[in-house]
Amino acid sequence: MNASPLLEMRQVVKRYRTPAGAYPALKGLDLTVYPGEFLGILGKSGAGKSTLLNMITGVDRPTEGEIWMQTEEGRVGLHLLDEDALARWRGRNIGVVYQSFQLLPMLTLVENVMLPIDLSGDYHPRLSRQRALELLDMVELSAHAHKTPDLISGGQQQRVAIARALANDPALLVADEPTGSLDTVTADAIFTMFERLVQTGKTIIMVTHDQGLLPRFSRHLFLHDGQWTSPEEALS
Amino acid sequence: MRPRWKKVLADLWDNKARSLLVIFSIAIGVLAIGVITGTYIIIDTDMSLNYAAHNPANLELRTSSFDEDLLATIRHHRGVAAAEARRVIPLRVRPQGAAEWTTFDVVAMQDFAANEINLLTPLSGRAAAERGEVVLEKDAAERTGLQPGDQIEVHLPDGAIRTLTVSGIVLDPTTSAADFLAAPLAYIHLDTLPDLHQPQTFNRLYVTLESGQDDLTHIRAMMAEIKQKVESNGYAVGLTRQSLTHQHPLADIVNAVLGILLALGVLILFLSSSLIANTLSALLQQHMRHIGVMKLVGGRNRQILALYLALMLAFGGLALAIAVPLGGRGAYALADFTAEELGFTLQGYRIVPLAMGVQVLVGILVPLIAGLGPVISGTRVTVLQAISGVQYANQQDGWVERTLLRLTSGLDRRGLHIPQPILLSIRNTFRNKRRLRLTLFTLTMGGAIFISVFNVRVSLYRFVEQTGNYFLADVTLDFNRSYRLDKVESYIMQVPGVEAVEGWTYANAQLLTSDGRTADNINILAPPARSTLVEPLLVEGRWMQPGDVRKIVISESIWDYYPDLHSGDTLRLKINGKEEEWEVVGIFKFVGIEGLLGYTPYEYLSRIKHTVNRSYSYRVVTLYHDRPYQEAMSKRLDAYMRDQGFDVHQARAGLSSLDDASDSLDVLITFLLIMALLTASVGGMGLAGTMGMNVLERTREIGILRAIGATDARIMGLVIAEGMFIGLISWALAVALSFPFSYLLSGIVSRAIFNTPIEVIFTPLGFGLWLLLVIVLSTIASTLPARNAARLTIREVLAYE
Repeated sequence: MNASPLLEMRQVVKRYRTPAGAYPALKGLDLTVYPGEFLGILGKSGAGKSTLLNMITGVDRPTEGEIWMQTEEGRVGLHLLDEDALARWRGRNIGVVYQSFQLLPMLTLVENVMLPIDLSGDYHPRLSRQRALELLDMVELSAHAHKTPDLISGGQQQRVAIARALANDPALLVADEPTGSLDTVTADAIFTMFERLVQTGKTIIMVTHDQGLLPRFSRHLFLHDGQWTSPEEALS
Repeated sequence: MRPRWKKVLADLWDNKARSLLVIFSIAIGVLAIGVITGTYIIIDTDMSLNYAAHNPANLELRTSSFDEDLLATIRHHRGVAAAEARRVIPLRVRPQGAAEWTTFDVVAMQDFAANEINLLTPLSGRAAAERGEVVLEKDAAERTGLQPGDQIEVHLPDGAIRTLTVSGIVLDPTTSAADFLAAPLAYIHLDTLPDLHQPQTFNRLYVTLESGQDDLTHIRAMMAEIKQKVESNGYAVGLTRQSLTHQHPLADIVNAVLGILLALGVLILFLSSSLIANTLSALLQQHMRHIGVMKLVGGRNRQILALYLALMLAFGGLALAIAVPLGGRGAYALADFTAEELGFTLQGYRIVPLAMGVQVLVGILVPLIAGLGPVISGTRVTVLQAISGVQYANQQDGWVERTLLRLTSGLDRRGLHIPQPILLSIRNTFRNKRRLRLTLFTLTMGGAIFISVFNVRVSLYRFVEQTGNYFLADVTLDFNRSYRLDKVESYIMQVPGVEAVEGWTYANAQLLTSDGRTADNINILAPPARSTLVEPLLVEGRWMQPGDVRKIVISESIWDYYPDLHSGDTLRLKINGKEEEWEVVGIFKFVGIEGLLGYTPYEYLSRIKHTVNRSYSYRVVTLYHDRPYQEAMSKRLDAYMRDQGFDVHQARAGLSSLDDASDSLDVLITFLLIMALLTASVGGMGLAGTMGMNVLERTREIGILRAIGATDARIMGLVIAEGMFIGLISWALAVALSFPFSYLLSGIVSRAIFNTPIEVIFTPLGFGLWLLLVIVLSTIASTLPARNAARLTIREVLAYE
């Protein structure tokens, strides 16, 4: 890989304080992600996968270490930003997809997709609606654009969540077990959608515990007890 | 519309019960403030304007009978703008054919058309009476139900009955404006007086001044001059009264009472703001995930803050839409009611811009201020906390839970088993302590005020009753001329049921300043030194004693002039044209706004009045002291003494003096009770909101209970028991708080009305009623959430997120 990295993590440590003492969730992780990669992160429950994604998305902060991301405005150190700056950065540069969809129940599908654009203030309201409808069309849900989330299926909700993640055309998509709550056929359709996005130049980091997906990632890493490890140890 | 603003609309609309709760919480406070402010402004303007429009007398002198000559003299006195004379006689009247007699003050007017002072406003019929006719004041017409054209019977002193025709009904906002104890008024022409066996002379002098009509010092000086003029012409002056033209005599009292109501309104607003804070804090907690999602997709703190501030403004705006029109109507209605009770008219319905402005300001600021704390802390949570709910997951048991646990376990070990559902309800009560604190605060304050109002009510009535200590005589018998004490006594004592009789005298004196000016007039009453018919409420010093010479016991309103005056000090008084130094031997409390009142022994005052062993006024003690007996004895004595040839002016039951004072208090108490009920309803709404939020947050838990076999009734019972438990805790706290509140409220009210603090009486009625009300409120407030909880299916509640 000759291109400059999109994301770099250096010696990232995350410790949680619990009544039983400090609990290390990540133990000095390094990670470099290049544009166009489809990176799969696998590990058992409690391995630190979600903590790692929270570090990448700026949802949580590292106890030690540095996280850098290449953006249109230059190289940004996430560990240096405050909450508000992180929110603004996240809105423009990253799309996040969760297992539980996290759509706002009182908004229609198109309004859910428009929300990040509205909050970023980058588009005129009319243009943002047009873009949201295009994204819904892309995920084959334009016919349901004016329904609320409770009126569509889980798989459809996840497709809306993907459309919302793409709303501000971010370079990086982060997905936390996006197919975890879906049936096999729907999960496959969702995964195929991610693959197509990679083909259009998006970079995707996906956390999953489904080993069957391994061959479909361009690269994969195994996490065990907050550290990179071998497949055998991670899945033993 | 941008999605975020759509969310604000959806937040308003989706949970209608919660939105309505917040809107009504704001509206009730804003309404209270609007009504009181509006009433205050309307009354402040209209009361005195209406009063001035009727050209009130600056000076009123009650005198012995005089004629046109004296009136002409007064009219020509320097500084007098106009003077009118009337004859006022208390007469017993009744609608023709009715059984009960009522005493009216019948005012004989010289010329209705030329009336310049204390003007009458026509309401119906003619505002003038010819010979054989009578015009009724509105209050008199309302009490008797008489209309123009009706016949009225007048009971004459000699027992004869004359019939007069009601020619019209008028409003007289000035003649009795300052007198709580005044009888209803009726007006006749001077020509009718002979028909009523009355001389065509006058006994009241009304004067308006050319200048200084609103300058009390000037008015007092003029009063002294006019009084001297009257006395120097050989007439006796009894009670005197002075008034400013542009200030209703009751303006200060009404404004003070409205000030108290305003303070209660502010308190209601304060309570409703704690309710708003409670509800918004629950709303933010429920919206935590939404906030997390918005932050996740790029929402910044200030953007989210703006969303919730907009939501609060929307709540405020909707509350204003309810409270402003209602407040305007309510203010006018309350002002109109007050005007009706106090006998004046308003200028007409109008919007009070200032009151509306205050409402708008309060309606916007209160939700913003009350909600700012919860909103700021809600929007400041991190995405991780918001999405995972970590912030609320680590709540640990506090000392209350631990104590409860130890207590119930201890009881359990001793074989005392508290039923599990009750135990669960009690423990649930303390789970969200912040919410519990706010709910208890609202409900407790509402309860404490409610209870205090009842205590204040009893205290005020007791104080008025105590005024009866100055009216211990069962019958007051006044004659139109003085009679020898021994003669009157020998006759009265022959009437069966009479136990004792005393002859009293009185004088009107001037209180002089050190430079010889008149500070004010003092009405001096003079019972025999050993009289047992006055049991004074002494503030300091002693009561009068036999042998007292130039010694006076004076009402505490003297402190308005001499705040440092104490018993032992002297006052310079002018009585019967003679200036003397009088020693103040005691100071006493007295109800009423009649100005300064003093007591001195009959033995001395009759000497300086040259009426030794004679009197116009007698106090009679009868065998029984209840009101019906007093009334019966008044009639009997009146008839008997007339039969014996005495010129009886009137005979009145002792307790009748207190009737109108009690009526006036009723108005005030009604106001206070309305405010108490408003505070109680805010408390009830607070409890309803809390129970609704508690049930909503425990949906999953309720599902589990149902899954393990709890019936609908059991679930409802749990929620209602929790509501009841909160209600009972608040009642106990309200009881404790009502003691200082009662002292505070009663102090403020009594100082406003009576210009003196009063003894606070505690009545079980308020405590009991509030207990009853709090149980009812708790049951109602928790029944709806309880029904909702019981209706949820297991699948629904276990799927709840």
